[in-house]
Amino acid sequence: MTDLAQFILIGLVTGSLYALIALGYTMVYGIIELINFAHGDLFMLGSFLALTIVGVIGATVAGSLGAAGVMALLLIVCPVFCAAVNVAVDRIVYKPIRNAPKLAPLVSAIGVSFIFQNVGLFWFGAQDKNFPDFAGGSNLLDGTGLRFTWEDLLVVSVTLPTMVLLTLFVKYTPLGKAMRATAQNPTAARLMGIDVDRVISATFAIGGALAGVAAVVYGTYTNTVSYQMGFTNGLYAFTAAVLGGIGSLPGAVLGGLVIGVVRSLGSAYVGEQWSEALVFGILIVILIFRPNGLLGAKTREKV
Amino acid sequence: MAALEVQNLTMRFGGITAVNGVSFAVSPGQIYSVIGPNGAGKTTVFNAITGIYQPTAGHVLFEGQRVSRPFTWKVVASAVAIGLVVAVFFGLAAVNVDLLWKAAVRDNAGGAKDAFPTAKVIDDAGRYIGERRDNAITAALVGFALGTAGSLVVWQRDRRAPDVVCRGGIARTFQNIRLFQAMTVLENVLVGMTRSYRANLLGVAVSGPGHRREEDAARRKAAELLKFVGLAGKHNELAKNLPYGDQRRLEIARALATEPRLLLLDEPAAGMNPSETVNLMELIRKIRDRGVTVVLIEHHMNLVMGISDRVAVLDYGVKIAEGPPQEVSRDPKVIEAYLGKEEVS
Amino acid sequence: MTLARLPWFQILVLATFAAYPLIPGTNAVRGSAQFVPLFSFAILALGLNVVVGNAGLLHLGIAAFFGIGAYVVGILTVPTFPFHSSFLVAMVLATVISAAVGVATAAPTLRLRGDYLALVTLGFGQIFIYAVRNLTNVTGGTQGLTPILPAMLPGIEDPDTRALGLGPTWRGYPSFYYISLFALAGTLVFLRNLENSRLGRAWVAIREDELAASCMGLNPARLKLAAIAIGAGLAGMAGCLYATGLKGTAGPQAFDFGRSMITLCCLILGGLGNRSGVLLGVLLLIGFDSVLTPEIDTWLQEQRVNPEGKQYLKVAGWRLFVFGLALILIMRYRPEGLLPGRRQRHELHTEEPTPGA
Repeated sequence: MTDLAQFILIGLVTGSLYALIALGYTMVYGIIELINFAHGDLFMLGSFLALTIVGVIGATVAGSLGAAGVMALLLIVCPVFCAAVNVAVDRIVYKPIRNAPKLAPLVSAIGVSFIFQNVGLFWFGAQDKNFPDFAGGSNLLDGTGLRFTWEDLLVVSVTLPTMVLLTLFVKYTPLGKAMRATAQNPTAARLMGIDVDRVISATFAIGGALAGVAAVVYGTYTNTVSYQMGFTNGLYAFTAAVLGGIGSLPGAVLGGLVIGVVRSLGSAYVGEQWSEALVFGILIVILIFRPNGLLGAKTREKV
Repeated sequence: MAALEVQNLTMRFGGITAVNGVSFAVSPGQIYSVIGPNGAGKTTVFNAITGIYQPTAGHVLFEGQRVSRPFTWKVVASAVAIGLVVAVFFGLAAVNVDLLWKAAVRDNAGGAKDAFPTAKVIDDAGRYIGERRDNAITAALVGFALGTAGSLVVWQRDRRAPDVVCRGGIARTFQNIRLFQAMTVLENVLVGMTRSYRANLLGVAVSGPGHRREEDAARRKAAELLKFVGLAGKHNELAKNLPYGDQRRLEIARALATEPRLLLLDEPAAGMNPSETVNLMELIRKIRDRGVTVVLIEHHMNLVMGISDRVAVLDYGVKIAEGPPQEVSRDPKVIEAYLGKEEVS
Repeated sequence: MTLARLPWFQILVLATFAAYPLIPGTNAVRGSAQFVPLFSFAILALGLNVVVGNAGLLHLGIAAFFGIGAYVVGILTVPTFPFHSSFLVAMVLATVISAAVGVATAAPTLRLRGDYLALVTLGFGQIFIYAVRNLTNVTGGTQGLTPILPAMLPGIEDPDTRALGLGPTWRGYPSFYYISLFALAGTLVFLRNLENSRLGRAWVAIREDELAASCMGLNPARLKLAAIAIGAGLAGMAGCLYATGLKGTAGPQAFDFGRSMITLCCLILGGLGNRSGVLLGVLLLIGFDSVLTPEIDTWLQEQRVNPEGKQYLKVAGWRLFVFGLALILIMRYRPEGLLPGRRQRHELHTEEPTPGA
C-alpha cells in the first residue's frame, strides 16, 4: 500500500511541474486560441540559462550565496528571461498575423519551436547535460515509509504558491480581469476600453514566467537537461492542458496532476517505456467521452 | 398524417429559453409560414428541426416519425465488433506482444524457401497466451467494455445529425446565406446531389465509364434545377460573384438537389425588392406543385399573406397565434407583438 | 485515364526524372540513394495533402503511417521471419494496413475540434515510435529490420532486366528507380481523378462550411475518414517503397514528429491543396535536406573547417533553424505557398460563430 502511495506522491510532485507548464499553454490558448508549440522549448531555454548562470557563478560564489541564494537568483532571472523572450516572439511573429486564419499562427509557433530547439542545440550541443542538485536527497518523511526529499519539497513549495498566486491574480486584479474578459470576447473587451494588445503581451509574459519557474525547478529536480526536453515535456504539458479543458486554469492544474500520476503509476506497473504511450492513450479515451476535456466548456456554433 | 409535427418543442441554452413549448403541425403540400419579431426563436426552431440542435424538451416528427438513425441490430453488431477489436488489442498488449511474437513467429523463422508454418505458429501462440490467460482475459474484457461503450457513445452523439435529417427528406436554406462561396453555381448544386451517386473508389481512381456516366447524369439534373429556379446560363459563375437575389435562389436550388419532401426556407426574401419577391412567390408555388411541403420564416408580410396556407406567430419563444393568414393578421396579440418594434416592410 | 491531362508542371517533373538515368554519365548512386527516397517522400506528401489540403484536417502524425508501411514490408520480407512475401503482396498489404490503422485511430477523434485533433494525431505518432522502439522482437528496435530483399512478384524472384537495358536486378538501379517513379505518376493521376470527383467536391464543401454541407446530406465524419484512409494508405505505400529502396527499414527515428513536420512543411511551402505545389515543395525542401545539405557538409568536412564537430559549423546543424524560419516567413508573407491551389485552400476549417436570428 505504501508503494502505491509513494508512486502517487511522486506523480503529484512531477504533476505539479507539468501543471505549471500547462498553465502557460492554457493561458495563451485562452486568450488568442493559439497552441503555442514553442512553449515547451521556451521552458528548455530557461533551464539552459539557469545552467549557464550556475556555471558562470562557479562554485565559490555559489558557496557564499548558499543553495537557497542561488535558487532565488535563478527564480528571478529565468522567469524574467523567458517572459521577455515570449513577449518578443509574440510581437515579432504572432502579432502581425493576428487576424490570419488559424493555421498561420499555429504553423508559425511550430517554426518558433524549431528555432528555439536549434538555439538550444548550439548552446549546449546534442548531448544531455547535467544540472547540479541544489536541494539534496535526504528524506523528510523518514520513518513513514514514504520518501519525500528536499527536492520534492522544493518543487511543491515553488509550484503550489505560484499556482495560488496566479489564480488570485486572475481573479482579483484589474489585469487579471482584463485577461478573462479578453479571453471570453475580445471585441467586447476592446469596446470596454481594454487595451487588448497589452493584455495579450501580459499573458505571454506571465506564461513565459511560468515556464521559467518550471525550468529552474525541473533542472534541480531531474538533474538532466537537453535541447529536446522542451518537446517531450511540452507535449505532456499540452496534453495536460487539453485533458483538463484548454483555456481553463484549474483544468490545466488538474490535467497536470493527472498526467503526473498516470506517468508515475504507468512507469511502476506497466513499464517505463510504455508510460508515455499510456499518457496519450488516456488522453484519447478521455477526449472520446468528454470532447472538451474534463473541465472544459462546450462551445456552440450559432446558425 | 402531418408532414411535419413539432410537439412542445423547448430549447434552452444555458440560462436562456429561446423556444418554449412550441407546437404546430404542417400538412403535406402546405405552404406554412412562421413569423414573429426578431429574436422570437424562429431560426432556433428550424435548427431544432434540422438536427443542428437537439431539443431540450419536446419532439419533432417528420411524416409521423422521429428523424434519427434507428437503433438497429446493425448498430449493436458494429459496436460489438469494435469492442472485439479493441479487446484483442488490449489482450495482446497485456500478454506482451513482443515476447508473443518471439515465441510464435520469430522462433519459427525457418529457411527462405519454406512455406509459412501456420500450424506451428498458431500452436505456439496459443500456448504462450494460455500461460498468461488471466491477464489476457481481464485486459480483453476491459478492452471490450471500452470499445463497445465508446462506439455506442460516439454513435449516440450523431444520431440526429443534420446529414441524417437531410437524408431523411428535410432540406433547408439559411438566414445568412451559406453557399460554398469558392465553388461555382453548378458545383454548389452538385454537392446537394449526394444521394444519387453510387460510384466507388476504384471507379473514381480510373475515372471509368460508370463514374463518368453518373457525373453526366448529375450535371444534367443540376442544370434542370438551375433552370427551374431561374439561374440557367450562370453555371460557371463563382457563387460569391452572384448578385444577392441570385444567391438566395442558388441556395434554394442546392436544397432542392437533395430531393427533399419538406423544404425549410429561412427568410428567403430578405433583401429582395418587390419584383424579386413576386418571382420568389412564384418559385415557392412551383416548388409546392412539385410535391414538396414548404415551411418558411419570413418578415415580408406581402409574401407571407400572398402564398401561405397557414401561419404561426412566435414571440419571445412562445407561439401566440396560429391560423389562416387573414385571421392571424387581424389578431390583436400579433399586432401588439409587432407594434413598438421596428417597422417591418 | 490519361497522363496527358496532368498539369504541365507535374509532367515536366516526371519526364525529367524519367530521362535522368538515360543521360550518359549520370550518377547511379544519386539516383538510387537520393532520388528513390525523394519519390517516396513525394508520395508521402501527396498523401498528407489529401488529409490536410483536401479535407482540412491538421494531421501531425503522418510519419507513423509512413513507418507502418516500411515496417509491414520489413516484417513480411526479412529472412528473420517466416513470411517471405513478395514485393507486390507486401506493398498491397502495407497500403491496406496503413489505411485501416488510419481509420481505426481517427474514427474516435473526428468530432474533436481542429486543435485537439492535431494533438491527438501527434500523440498517435509518438505512440507509434514508442511501440516500434519497445517491440524489439517484432521491429528490431532501434536497428530496424534488414535486409529487405523480396521477390518481385509471387513466384517471380528476380527477373533479369538486362534485356530491357535496366541493370541486372529489379531491386537495383534503375529498375527500382522506374518502379518508384511509376508509383509517383500513378499517385498523381489517381489524385487528379479524385479531386474532380464528387468526393473531391464534397471535401471542398466541408472545408468551406461544414455545417451547411452536413445540412445538404454530406456526412463530414465519413468524408474525413475517407480522406484519412486515402492519405494513410498512400503514406503506407510510400513507406513500403522507401524501405524496399533502402533495402531495410530505418530505425524508428526516421518516422518521428520531425518527419511529419518536414512533410507538412513541404505542403505549406509548395502550396496546400495543390498537387503541383506539393511536388514543388518536396523538391525544394527534400532537395535541400537530403541532397544539398550532405553535399555541402561533405565538402566542408574535406576543407577541415570544423575539426571539433561544432553544430553551428555544419549546414546540418542549422536545419531546424532554416525550417523554422521558412515556416514563419511563409506564414507571414505568403501563407498560400509558392503555387497556391485554385481555391486558395490555405486555411483549415474552424468553427466560427455567425450571428443568428
